[in-house]
Amino acid sequence: MSRLRILILILILGMIPLGAFAASASAPPPAAGDPDRGPGEASTPGGITSSAPDPYALAEAIDRRIGDRLEEASVEPAPLADDAEFLRRVWLDIAGSIPPASEVRSFLLDDDPQKRRKIVDRLLDSPGYVRNMSMQWRNLMIPEAEGDQQVGFAAIGFEPWLRQQFAEGVGYDAMVRELLTVPLGDGQQANRLFSGEEPEPSPIGFVAAKAGDPGALAAGTSRLFLGIRLECAQCHDHPFATWSRDEFWGLAAFFSGLDRQSPEMAIFQGREIPGRTEIAIPETGRVAQATFLDGTRPRWRYADETRSVLAKWITSPENPYFARAAANRLWAQFFGRGLVDPVDEMGPINQPSHPELLDELALRFAQSGFDPRFLIRAITASDTYQRTSAGYAPGQDVPELFARMPVRGLSPEQLYESLIQASGLEREEPLPPFVFGGTSPRKDLMDRFAEDGTSPTERRSTILQALTLMNGPLVNTALNPEGSGTLAAVADSYFLSTREKVEALYLAAFSRLPRDEELERLARYVDRGGPTLDPKRALADVFWALLNSPEFSFNH
Amino acid sequence: MTRPFRDLPVTRRQWMRMSALGAAAVSCSGWIEALAADAASAPGRRRSCILLWMNGGPSQTDTFDLKPGHKNGGPFEEIETSVPGIRISEHLPKLARRMDDLAIIRSMSTKEGDHGRASYHLRTGYMPTGPIAYPTFGSLVSKELADPRLELPGFVSIAPFRGLNPAAYAPGFLGHRFAPLIVGESDFGRVVSGGDGAEALKVKDLSPPSEINRRRADARLGLLADIRDPFLDLRSSDAAYSQRTAYENAITMMRSDAVKAFDLDDEPDHLRDAYGRNTFGQGCLLARRLVERGVPFVEVTLNGVDGNNILGWDTHQDNFEAVRRLSEVLDPAWATLMDDLKARGLLDSTLIVWMGEFGRTPTINGNNGRDHFPNAWSAVVGGGGIAGGRVIGATTADGTEVEDRPVAVPDLLATACLALGLDPMAQNMSNLGRPIRVVDPEAKPIREVLA
Repeated sequence: MSRLRILILILILGMIPLGAFAASASAPPPAAGDPDRGPGEASTPGGITSSAPDPYALAEAIDRRIGDRLEEASVEPAPLADDAEFLRRVWLDIAGSIPPASEVRSFLLDDDPQKRRKIVDRLLDSPGYVRNMSMQWRNLMIPEAEGDQQVGFAAIGFEPWLRQQFAEGVGYDAMVRELLTVPLGDGQQANRLFSGEEPEPSPIGFVAAKAGDPGALAAGTSRLFLGIRLECAQCHDHPFATWSRDEFWGLAAFFSGLDRQSPEMAIFQGREIPGRTEIAIPETGRVAQATFLDGTRPRWRYADETRSVLAKWITSPENPYFARAAANRLWAQFFGRGLVDPVDEMGPINQPSHPELLDELALRFAQSGFDPRFLIRAITASDTYQRTSAGYAPGQDVPELFARMPVRGLSPEQLYESLIQASGLEREEPLPPFVFGGTSPRKDLMDRFAEDGTSPTERRSTILQALTLMNGPLVNTALNPEGSGTLAAVADSYFLSTREKVEALYLAAFSRLPRDEELERLARYVDRGGPTLDPKRALADVFWALLNSPEFSFNH
Repeated sequence: MTRPFRDLPVTRRQWMRMSALGAAAVSCSGWIEALAADAASAPGRRRSCILLWMNGGPSQTDTFDLKPGHKNGGPFEEIETSVPGIRISEHLPKLARRMDDLAIIRSMSTKEGDHGRASYHLRTGYMPTGPIAYPTFGSLVSKELADPRLELPGFVSIAPFRGLNPAAYAPGFLGHRFAPLIVGESDFGRVVSGGDGAEALKVKDLSPPSEINRRRADARLGLLADIRDPFLDLRSSDAAYSQRTAYENAITMMRSDAVKAFDLDDEPDHLRDAYGRNTFGQGCLLARRLVERGVPFVEVTLNGVDGNNILGWDTHQDNFEAVRRLSEVLDPAWATLMDDLKARGLLDSTLIVWMGEFGRTPTINGNNGRDHFPNAWSAVVGGGGIAGGRVIGATTADGTEVEDRPVAVPDLLATACLALGLDPMAQNMSNLGRPIRVVDPEAKPIREVLA
């Protein structure tokens, strides 16, 4: 047996104490704060602790507000999830993957009453958190990069930049300020990349993806950072909402200095003309002055940079939209829907399901120094987040009551990472855009499971996705009894009984132990050897069925 | 937000369900509806559409709108067709003899000259603006036309190259259920070629590995059901239920006779030769086999002469040599497709659309090439629902402007809808919770080209 297989086996069986794996798999990122800090201390850079709000007090506030509405509606909330269900969910939501089997075993055995909070703390310090958040926020901030190779190329430094931000624990406000005020590059990035240099971390992709177009930048900025959809006001006054065409172009005027050298290009190449604060409203003959969405205008001073002035207004703790939009998005990331849903449609027409709660989340988020980890601690510590997804009771189906955790589709990245985690196969790094000859099992899987714009709770599966998991190369490699993955390691361990083998596969794929009746039936199947009369092959059949089950390919 | 139905007791979720059942195809425009009803009441089978997609933007001046005698015209000669007065390129002789079933639109006039964005525009009918994920036309059509008893996906995309804008090939807000089944895809540096083109057109992952025989596959599916069903029974989740449905459909397809459509070895050699032993030729043959089995939308991409490149029609250099070689692939494949459909009685119910993302400059550049040109270019429609043997619109003598009857993208797609018996003004719920019409409501269908 190779050393790798022995290692995998040891991990699966949970023979190494909890800390050892964690230390190797999740070395703390640079400047990620003190790993020994107490549960109440937020890790804001700069060491704000005295006035930092307590995430667990906020968790109680969440449950109070959600509970009030449930009571009004006379809906009984679902009971709390057991440890295994919680652990799998929180790993997927924070670290972007299911947990390793060894971790599940130790977690189930751990009798520390604080263990749920502690695992969240540990995950927030892990590289998985940085990777998962960067990927999710890149998709949010420059969705264009997914569909358009040219944009993907122009934005190649964007995800590295996000990773830097999340690893260093930069506040969300500072992040957005840097994104909005990024100096426009020298246009040489492409040449440097072709000559083999690493992409420089830079948020320039946001401007590039909007083709440097003031209208698109205004719409994107307002949608992302204020939760307000202005697109419709670009051409006409919005029939339902309060935003007018003048207000749209007033915001666009902050980007009017961008001078596109080739307006027909899909990506931005050009420079910025300093001091420009007005823009012509198309087809009207009128000109809009740079105006904030609250109707006020900046008092310009000498050498003010237009985009900096806007960025300061957007990220100000006094701006009611900024913190609320971010809090709502983070909430949606953990529940599959926002308190305002759709998340980009905040405004009088689309009221939050729990307005006081959203205000409180926003306030505390701002007080924490806009630290996403603070909100994540609060959300994941709440009973609301920790409820089970199973069972039926009247009214629990109403999604905006949050009476039960909904079943959510995995992102392609979560699915891939989880397959790797469960199967023990070697992880393949993503291909950068414009890699010639690019095809790989990872890429094929990502293509077939690419997001389709629907919410994770309403996602629909396709025939090709089913074929990929049933017959495709990734699962086939995972099932190879002569291979180096989980299955081969489990199948080969002569000191395990059949029941223990089935258990190990359940821990690897479902992050839980099998129920008695499951264990009974599957162990019998394996012992009899299935149609091949070969227990080893029968064990592969069991693993195939686990990996093809929705319990594996959904977050629940 | 703009909840269009905020006064009605219909939640977005219910709406999605209703649309999924097709109950929500609301129609709002009297005359188009009447037209659609006329077309739909035509006797015969369900209609299908085959889109011949010319990746890179084909040169109209060297295919369907020649300018002989003008300096922009280039070296190609015009030839007579089976319809007196209509002339096309000398390198499309077989199509010329089938002009009775084809209508040339010489007045396409669009606004987008970037490959990715123009592909999106032509293939969805909408400009890529903001966060609305517009569905590609194949997804829209297959949603309307697919027979629920069909054992194959309602939308098959053959040999696409999606690299420059995958969203232009995606089901958008209609969701994965209406995503194309893709075969023979090309990618940067991975061009489908080799052999006679047929091997690459098989469905990926369609069969389990060889050691999994039917008994073992059944045993696995039995285990899966045992493990899965208690999980689903305890959870109310449309997303998770849809996974079970997808598996059922996938297994039906794997085990159905219909999937033999992908096995071109059934076809006689002389027919396979006639289509052309290359990816596009064999792709057109596959398209016929799929349409024959009831697939409502099939697209076949002509990327380039095999093994050559992926944006073959993007002829910035040496335009004439490239277009000649591409024509030699296009002409026999398309003409044989028309004949084959006709011989099987399928041509009257199968709409054929030929287009790329834009045309090319009538002026010839310094590299003997032609550049991107959305201003005035050609598309061709034919077969079912189309009055063939005519030309719509015209360009100026130098080819640079549309002189008569400009046709915008929504006009073309609305025309295709009507030819298929569909209401272009039907609505689908978008990802923003706002209904979006199949085709932009400002579309003016080309009524004179409808049969």
